Amino acid sequence: MKINDNCVGCGQCASFCKKGAIEVKGKALATDACVDCGVCVLYCPVKAIEVLA
Amino acid sequence: MKAVVIGAGLGGLLSAARLSKAGCQVDIFERLPITGGRFTNLSYKGFQLSSGAFHILPHGPAGPLAQFLNEVGADVKIVRSDIITVRVPLKKGSQDYEKGFKDIPFNDFSTLLSHKDRLKIAFLIVSTRKNRPSGSTLQTWIRSQFKDEWLVRFADAFCGWALSLKSDEVPVEEIFEIIENMYRFGGPGVPIGGCKGVIDALESVIAENGGKIHTETEVSKILVENGKAAGVLVGAEAHKANLVISNLGHAATACLCAEALSGEKDSGYLRRLETLKPSAGIKICLAADEPLVGHSGILLTPYAKRVNGINEVTQVDPRLAPPGKHLTMSHQYVAPDNVKNLESEIELGLQDLKEIFPDKKYETLLIQSYHDSWPVNRAASGMDPGNETPIPGLYVVGDGAKGKGGIEVEGVALGVAATMKKILG
Repeated sequence: MKINDNCVGCGQCASFCKKGAIEVKGKALATDACVDCGVCVLYCPVKAIEVLA
Repeated sequence: MKAVVIGAGLGGLLSAARLSKAGCQVDIFERLPITGGRFTNLSYKGFQLSSGAFHILPHGPAGPLAQFLNEVGADVKIVRSDIITVRVPLKKGSQDYEKGFKDIPFNDFSTLLSHKDRLKIAFLIVSTRKNRPSGSTLQTWIRSQFKDEWLVRFADAFCGWALSLKSDEVPVEEIFEIIENMYRFGGPGVPIGGCKGVIDALESVIAENGGKIHTETEVSKILVENGKAAGVLVGAEAHKANLVISNLGHAATACLCAEALSGEKDSGYLRRLETLKPSAGIKICLAADEPLVGHSGILLTPYAKRVNGINEVTQVDPRLAPPGKHLTMSHQYVAPDNVKNLESEIELGLQDLKEIFPDKKYETLLIQSYHDSWPVNRAASGMDPGNETPIPGLYVVGDGAKGKGGIEVEGVALGVAATMKKILG
């Protein structure tokens, strides 16, 4: 999971992450618990999350 | 009449509810899988956090938003919670809460002034209702009347909480319109079910009146024919309409119809858009077993380093948290220059909370920041260009086009009401 500079840190992704794998402090950060499922991508209001191929 | 609404945030849904009720065929396109924009609930660890707003209506059950909801038949219960207290240091002259504090009622703010200044405030409260000050910022106006830093602190806490601005960024006219609205409509209220209680009720109205909400559907272009709004493009598909309402703010809306706005006559509008500044802020969500604020309204914290104010919505609607828990949320203004230092701004906010609640046990649930393309407000209060655009049939609603004197969602409702009046008469 790559979080780009569009991220404002609103935390919307963290609330939809089923693994509790996103920490937010000014910017979102995917932790080791992330399984690259990509659910968060849909919910990001600023297109800040990209799933790595 | 056929209408397209771009964005299912509060402004978009209010517009859609009103238009569908008036007999228009309404389609709402929302890029995200959820509706409500920055005014809905986010479930997190059993708490109902929010995507932006603080689960409050600044003018409660009698305010512009509540009136609008009532007019369109949206069934929301809004409970008045207009206690506003101000935390001040116990010892006069202290600049922080470290050596103790007390909470005073909002309306007693003048008791901290000298006798002479208190008389002056009493006089100004009456005289400014007839002769409103104008032509400066709130801070400049305060400094022209008083030599008292407490008043500036107090104004900064209020402006920070209500508008996510500092008193030197707010036109004095805007604050006096807000004060007038406080007389007119009263103080805050909490919608039962939080922000989503309002969103769900609006969606029911829209569905009952045949409106359709298309989530995960992004509009790529606003169609303009013969100089007028003619619909939108979704993928390769054109959705024709006589009316397009954008909930995206002026700048993003202009990007969707850049070709149509490239003429000489539109250059003034485009230049104006470049001056719009979104406001930034940080919300810290706390969970606690015991009340932290202790009442249902707002606690302003003018002596904190960053936090402007705090509310505790579970005092009104306990279901916004798991049984026995409280949800307490703080807001802090972020200065434009500090948007690049969000982490240190957050640290200062967290330190403030330790000082504000020194003997309380709480857990930090989630820290949410808002700026630039997902801000507190898309245009700073009192600075937006209104709801119209140079393209007939294309209107902008939401927090980038609020109308005067409207705090947050009250401003959104005032802007939508004004727009609907222009369209429907």
